[in-house]
Amino acid sequence: MNYVGKPVKRLNDSKFITGKSVYIDDLQISSLNAAFVRSPYAHARVKSVDASDALKTKGIVAVFTAKDLNPMTSDGPGPWVTYINQAEWKFVPRKPLTEEARYVGDPVAIVIGIDKYSVRDAVDKVNVDYEELPSAIALEDALKGEALVHKELGTNVGYKKDFSAGNVESAFKSADKVIPVEASNTRLIPSPMEPRGIVSRWEGGSLTVWYSTQIPHFAREEFSKDFGIPSSRIRVIMPDVGGAFGSKAHFVAEDLAVVASSIKLGRTVRWTATRSEELISSNARHNTFKGEVAVKRDGTILGIRGDLTVDLGAYLTYTEGLQPAIIPLMIPGPYKIRDILVRSTAVYTNTPPITMYRGASRPEATFIIERIMSTVADELHMDDLELREKNMVRADEMPYKNPFGLVYDSGDYLSFLREAKEKLKYHETLTWAEAERTKGKRIGVGTAFYLEISGFGPWEYGEIRVDERGDVTVVTGGTPHGQGTDTAIAQVVADELQIDIGRINVVWGDTQVVASGMGSYGSRTISIAGSAAKSASRQVLEKMKYVAAKMLNADVEEVEYSSCEFKYKKEGKSVKWDEVAKAAYSGKDPGLYASVTLEGDVTYPYGLHMAIVEIDDTGIVRVKEYRAYDDIGRVINPALAEAQIHGGAMQGVGQALYEEARINDEGQLAVSYAEYFVPTIMESPHYTSYFTDRPFPSNYATGTKGVGEAALIVGPAAIVRAIENATGKRFNKTPVTPEEVYKSLIK
Amino acid sequence: MVKPGEKVKIKVKVNGVQYEGEVPPRKLLVHFLRDDLGLTGTKVGCDTTTCGACTVILNGKSVKSCTLLAVQADGGEILTIEGLGNGKLHRIQEAFSNNFALQCGFCTPGMIMQTYYLLKEKGSEISEEEIRDGLHGNICRCTGYQNIIKAVEEASKVRS
Amino acid sequence: MYPPEFGYFKPQSLEEALDFLEKEDARPLAGGQSLIPMLKLRIISTGYLVDLNPLSSLSFVKDEGSQVRVGALTRHAEITSNTMIKTEVPLLYEASRQVGDVQVRNVGTIGGSVSNADPAADYPSVLTALDAKIVTTSKGGSREINALNFFKGPFTTSLNEGELVKEIVFPKLNGYKTSYVKVVRRAGDYAMVSIAVALRLKEGKVEDVRLSYSGVSDTPYRAKEAEKVLMERELNEENIKKAAEVAASGANPPSDVRGSSWYRKEVMKVITVKTLGDMK
Repeated sequence: MNYVGKPVKRLNDSKFITGKSVYIDDLQISSLNAAFVRSPYAHARVKSVDASDALKTKGIVAVFTAKDLNPMTSDGPGPWVTYINQAEWKFVPRKPLTEEARYVGDPVAIVIGIDKYSVRDAVDKVNVDYEELPSAIALEDALKGEALVHKELGTNVGYKKDFSAGNVESAFKSADKVIPVEASNTRLIPSPMEPRGIVSRWEGGSLTVWYSTQIPHFAREEFSKDFGIPSSRIRVIMPDVGGAFGSKAHFVAEDLAVVASSIKLGRTVRWTATRSEELISSNARHNTFKGEVAVKRDGTILGIRGDLTVDLGAYLTYTEGLQPAIIPLMIPGPYKIRDILVRSTAVYTNTPPITMYRGASRPEATFIIERIMSTVADELHMDDLELREKNMVRADEMPYKNPFGLVYDSGDYLSFLREAKEKLKYHETLTWAEAERTKGKRIGVGTAFYLEISGFGPWEYGEIRVDERGDVTVVTGGTPHGQGTDTAIAQVVADELQIDIGRINVVWGDTQVVASGMGSYGSRTISIAGSAAKSASRQVLEKMKYVAAKMLNADVEEVEYSSCEFKYKKEGKSVKWDEVAKAAYSGKDPGLYASVTLEGDVTYPYGLHMAIVEIDDTGIVRVKEYRAYDDIGRVINPALAEAQIHGGAMQGVGQALYEEARINDEGQLAVSYAEYFVPTIMESPHYTSYFTDRPFPSNYATGTKGVGEAALIVGPAAIVRAIENATGKRFNKTPVTPEEVYKSLIK
Repeated sequence: MVKPGEKVKIKVKVNGVQYEGEVPPRKLLVHFLRDDLGLTGTKVGCDTTTCGACTVILNGKSVKSCTLLAVQADGGEILTIEGLGNGKLHRIQEAFSNNFALQCGFCTPGMIMQTYYLLKEKGSEISEEEIRDGLHGNICRCTGYQNIIKAVEEASKVRS
Repeated sequence: MYPPEFGYFKPQSLEEALDFLEKEDARPLAGGQSLIPMLKLRIISTGYLVDLNPLSSLSFVKDEGSQVRVGALTRHAEITSNTMIKTEVPLLYEASRQVGDVQVRNVGTIGGSVSNADPAADYPSVLTALDAKIVTTSKGGSREINALNFFKGPFTTSLNEGELVKEIVFPKLNGYKTSYVKVVRRAGDYAMVSIAVALRLKEGKVEDVRLSYSGVSDTPYRAKEAEKVLMERELNEENIKKAAEVAASGANPPSDVRGSSWYRKEVMKVITVKTLGDMK
């Protein structure tokens, strides 16, 4: 049996294709429903709330305000301390409801009633008296500090840090040329197809929370910390999750208000976000980089300096603190650039809060460095990839410590790039595009390279249970929610135990079942959760050998295992897997379980992606083709890995061309998909995805590096470059709108 | 006439089963299916007729059940994802699984129902262009769509 | 999203529907593909919905020799699949297959779309290009309104309270070439700009031309001044360009997430030149 490396079909498809999937809103639990009264102002003090009319509405049980619920919490969500240094931040922990609304949509009151329709009716009948306050919507305005989002902080700047390495001054002094660069991403909305939701039950001092989340154990910890309930009395259950992309590793105020209400009422309360609510509960990206590059005439990049400004929205979310701290570290990418200064500033604005979104900080860093490389190539009249080759870290320098101290574990970027050029037909495609352009077609080809950081320790949990019939349950701290990593983990375990994969069931996402866990994000699941499961498999196998040895009257060292058979060669005897499993549960010390909490570090996948675009006379860009060549370490399931490239690339197309959450004083303009353009099947390119035959494995037992985010990390840079190739003009931000492209065509 | 706040009796046949229910006129068909009949396979994704997660077949036509009132289905016949394939997997369902045409699965029921309608209308000679034109009212955020196209092509070729 | 409370009336006849609409605070419900989302977003509310769907007398397509009558309740998909419309009113056919998406076209109706008068919708520009007549009905009797006089503003028509669109009459344009071109940011969206063109050439000269646009004004925009530029002239590059300029200068497009006002005018010009150029 050899499952690793094969396109094994997803093990748990059945419920999804038959409609038996159970997402948060599908749970058949008797409960009250919640809806929220939201601020129509970007910044306003709540003077009073009159709920008397609302309470008269048929079926309404309660209306709570900040005064009712906030005293129930002793703390609130702040930055994710596992990864974010809280001491570097100025922030105010989020509360269930607010007395000072800081963005349009900030929840002011919660209405609870018997059904979704009546609570929505009652929301309209809650009369709130607001005192409007000066607001800061745009980053530039917030930086001026005239209107403060959080008065108590005394500033809108939540974070400010200089990331400095080498000697930037001297690098710029010795430059042949200094080239200005700019790169920015406007605001996106991760927008999983399933809007977020929560069901909270309070009973006898125990809290059960069904929650559309990527991080159930962190949620348990958060609720315990906020409400002062022992975590042992809290159970968080993650049902099927309909997409997350980072946005569901984030606690919204509404979650706290639902939990608080359920405790206050002693009833089960549920909230499923409408699409309008989902669109404001997590925004993403929104950052600018302005700086300059010092280069030598031969293309050697000597140094980079610049200012990175990151919009936080109105509150510091659990995950947004990652971006301003990680983007600078990743700006050098795969290139040997030692002299860098990035002044990173993160700013509060009166806008919906920003969270991480697929790639979080690597897409931003990659867009910046790849914009830099492409801009320099243009200015020096060099081939894009030739310039990159010139600056790449060499294989004999691996593991390579980048100027900010990140240690790139393994890889040979240069040889890989040469292979990639062949595989993606780099030169032929460029030549073909040029020929098409001479025929009058606006075709463009763009490539971009990425080096990303994934895996993200610090640890993950894996447990193997072999039951009395010899069937295997894998309990993982990872939280697969569409990626198919449950299947991939089963492949790893099946190979390790040399059993049929059909005997394996992978379970996750329930804090009462899974002893501990971090969750799925950061392309970490196969690497760290898969390796933990693999390690636990080995331990269980050792236990089985011990049992087999007793059955065979052998010493444990004399027992060999292969293909469901434990052999005692010397005596020519053997026992089968199932017999051992059965025997294990009839002995004095029964039980074939093993659990592992595996520590792990980051790892660095890399790749070259190419986009081919066509532009029509109105400036509308279509990505016709998308090609990817990646080194993601060992590939456990090529079909699943490829699927991640497809999906990430589609979101890359969205970021590069379509998606933009615009905001004005009245709030976010996107209240539905009519104003936020998530791409459809018509906008989808043809994808070709290759993984190198000679991957550099990570240090994880699985040898994997991760692929979940790769295409969204690099896609926007490749697509923007393709637009430049087609138009001969420069574009420094995402999305590139038809209007901007059109302007480039006529000027 | 049903006054505001009153309920109206409706009869619908869903997946071959006759149901009777009382609904307020404003109740959306998707909520009737999900909350009253417990058929939660049909999902609510965007709320505003864009994403197609709520697609069902009503009287032989694919419709977005979040943009129809339950009362409008009175006397009608509905097929939802739960009713596809008569207890076995329908060839479209198999093709979606074979081709890795789903990830988080949330759009999948709507996508499969729209595919069912499309193949019913177009038969086995369906082109990629027709698949794209026929499915652009169903948004998937995970797959990038290529595997969905492959699945529909495969399903179109398999005789049921 | 959840619509506000309303009552419901299912008429047995058109007369019953009109009686009810006159008496009560009520809105007619046809396909509902715009109405229901607007209720869900709580942009509008109403005392009652009068469900016109059971009124099969409003769903028809009739060939009357020189004109085609399309009942208000005819679904977009029925228009697309009607072979007579495809040959006799090809502009309507072209527009109908670009409305929303398959599911929306299975439910949405031409009468509903026309009555909703979304300035970025597909039919209004087609109707105004073809000088179609909108036949209405109410307790007070029937009216026939030229499409150009029907659309009064965004989501505003010349329909009176209690008055319904009953049918739309399309003249058959013999010897015309027609084209409907729609520019969208993303498939299924309303038009950023769309153009409906009907053109008859005689010996290389323009004998008649109609240019109408969606998405560029408060109402469908029939570019009469631009038509004048082309009338009786050769359909050459120069004249086409001039007409496109004139058409754009008379438009007043909104600025929104789809594009700025300036850009929409530019798109108008581009697609006018392209569409007319392809008809040479």
